Amino acid sequence: MAGVNRGSGSGDESTDEYVEAGVAVDAVGKTYDEGGTPVRALDDVSFAIESGEFVCVVGPSGCGKTTLFRIIAGLTDATGGEIRVAGAPVTGPTRDMGVVFQEYHLFPWLTVAENVGFGLERTDRSATEREQRVDEMLDLVGLTEFRDSYPKSLSGGMKQRVAIARSLAVDPELLLMDEPFGAVDAQTREMLQRELLDVWGSTGKTVLFVTHDVAEAVTLADRIVVMAAEPGRVAEIVDVDVPRPRERGDPAFGEHVARVRELIGAGP
Amino acid sequence: MATDTGREFDGSGLRIGLGLDDPRRLFRGAAGLVGFVALWYLVSLTQPAIVLPSPVAVAAEFRGQLVSGTMSAALVSSVRHWVPGTIAGTGLGVGAGVAFAWSGLLDDVTAPLVRVLRPVPPLALIGFAIAWFGLNHAGAAFIIAVGGFWINFYATYGAVEGVSDDLIDVGRTLGVRGDLDMIRSVVLPASLPGIMTGIRTGLGRCWMLVIAAEIFSVPGIGREILRASNNLRVDRAIAYILVLSLLYLLVDVAFRAVQRRVLAWQA
Repeated sequence: MAGVNRGSGSGDESTDEYVEAGVAVDAVGKTYDEGGTPVRALDDVSFAIESGEFVCVVGPSGCGKTTLFRIIAGLTDATGGEIRVAGAPVTGPTRDMGVVFQEYHLFPWLTVAENVGFGLERTDRSATEREQRVDEMLDLVGLTEFRDSYPKSLSGGMKQRVAIARSLAVDPELLLMDEPFGAVDAQTREMLQRELLDVWGSTGKTVLFVTHDVAEAVTLADRIVVMAAEPGRVAEIVDVDVPRPRERGDPAFGEHVARVRELIGAGP
Repeated sequence: MATDTGREFDGSGLRIGLGLDDPRRLFRGAAGLVGFVALWYLVSLTQPAIVLPSPVAVAAEFRGQLVSGTMSAALVSSVRHWVPGTIAGTGLGVGAGVAFAWSGLLDDVTAPLVRVLRPVPPLALIGFAIAWFGLNHAGAAFIIAVGGFWINFYATYGAVEGVSDDLIDVGRTLGVRGDLDMIRSVVLPASLPGIMTGIRTGLGRCWMLVIAAEIFSVPGIGREILRASNNLRVDRAIAYILVLSLLYLLVDVAFRAVQRRVLAWQA
């Protein structure tokens, strides 16, 4: 189950050790009750994410990708199967997972620095350590000069950088992102994508990134989990064998986009 | 004082609250006030003083009451039940509003009770005020507190219910655990704008209830107004109504200054 859909054949690494390091989505199902009729939102969804890996989840609307995201984050209960992060079953939100939402959801009453430090206040770090960590995170996302601004004065792209810094501050094992760049303009989105790859490269976090934008998934991911709808399930997992930085004009890039689109059924 | 445009924050609530930052507006306001007093004066010439005393007579009476010390005594007395009544009503209203809006169980248990008690006007409780507290500051404070309670209860309840689930989700993912931590770090700050609007409305309502609460002869400004009215001393009644207005204005402007400071993060 830990090795589902993975072609890893390295025999010198035991399954347990492998699970310890990454994320396992194991036969996850979710059934809603809608006016007496059970609706199958997710059906037997299984895949694994290796530690340090960047995995995107794409799929048509209604395929349950946001439901899956919320289940992995521990915000919604599954009705079947389980999620394990670093080997431990997820029973609720944990600090092992940093979560970034599409609409940023910054705390508007806190400054940028206070937003970034919010999670740190619930750790056993000292005030000085927290301060240092906040500075580090602001530096990482390039918002040091805005540390004392309130979110209202920031652009969408800046808000999302703050949200990313806030989720990374507590040093989670996994960064979970639900269409994080869906609410910004195309230019900002490409810039944020590049920045996210930089952050990923420098922190070595495991990333699970949900998007409906196929080109975005091909730009970012090591592997793409393609989902299908009714019921929400894994259609296929596509390896993206294109060296980074990836260019949209590159034929290999286009082939991957076409392949994923075909799987989704959205046409070429 | 319809100057609540709700914008142009520059940290000085006093100027904004009175609309003194816009000279044209200030001029028009002053013209309106002068025009009103002039009209009052003209009409008063045609009427006996027990129907409508002239502004000059009211000013003289105001001065007389001020100099004799009656006014300040009444003011102090009113403040002595307005302050505890307002604090108790506001505190309990905000507290109950947060608790009932946050806890589905509490909400279910209390909903019928709230529906029954809500329409009871504070004045209808005067008998209880006298029986439970007596003809004193505590009794008057009780009436004021009841009025302040409901305004704050509903404002807070609505504000807490309106806190986005997403912010609560974010709190959970960032390690907020337990109801108290969530209320303190997410729910209260997120609903503070609504809560403060309720407090501000409540401050005014409580101040109006000062008159009602003094109907059963607890001394204060309200008592002076009622007594002057009974004695057909309209000039004195108007003088005390002015005190009431001025004090309310002062409190409201001060609270707005606090509100703007506390909510400086708002767009």
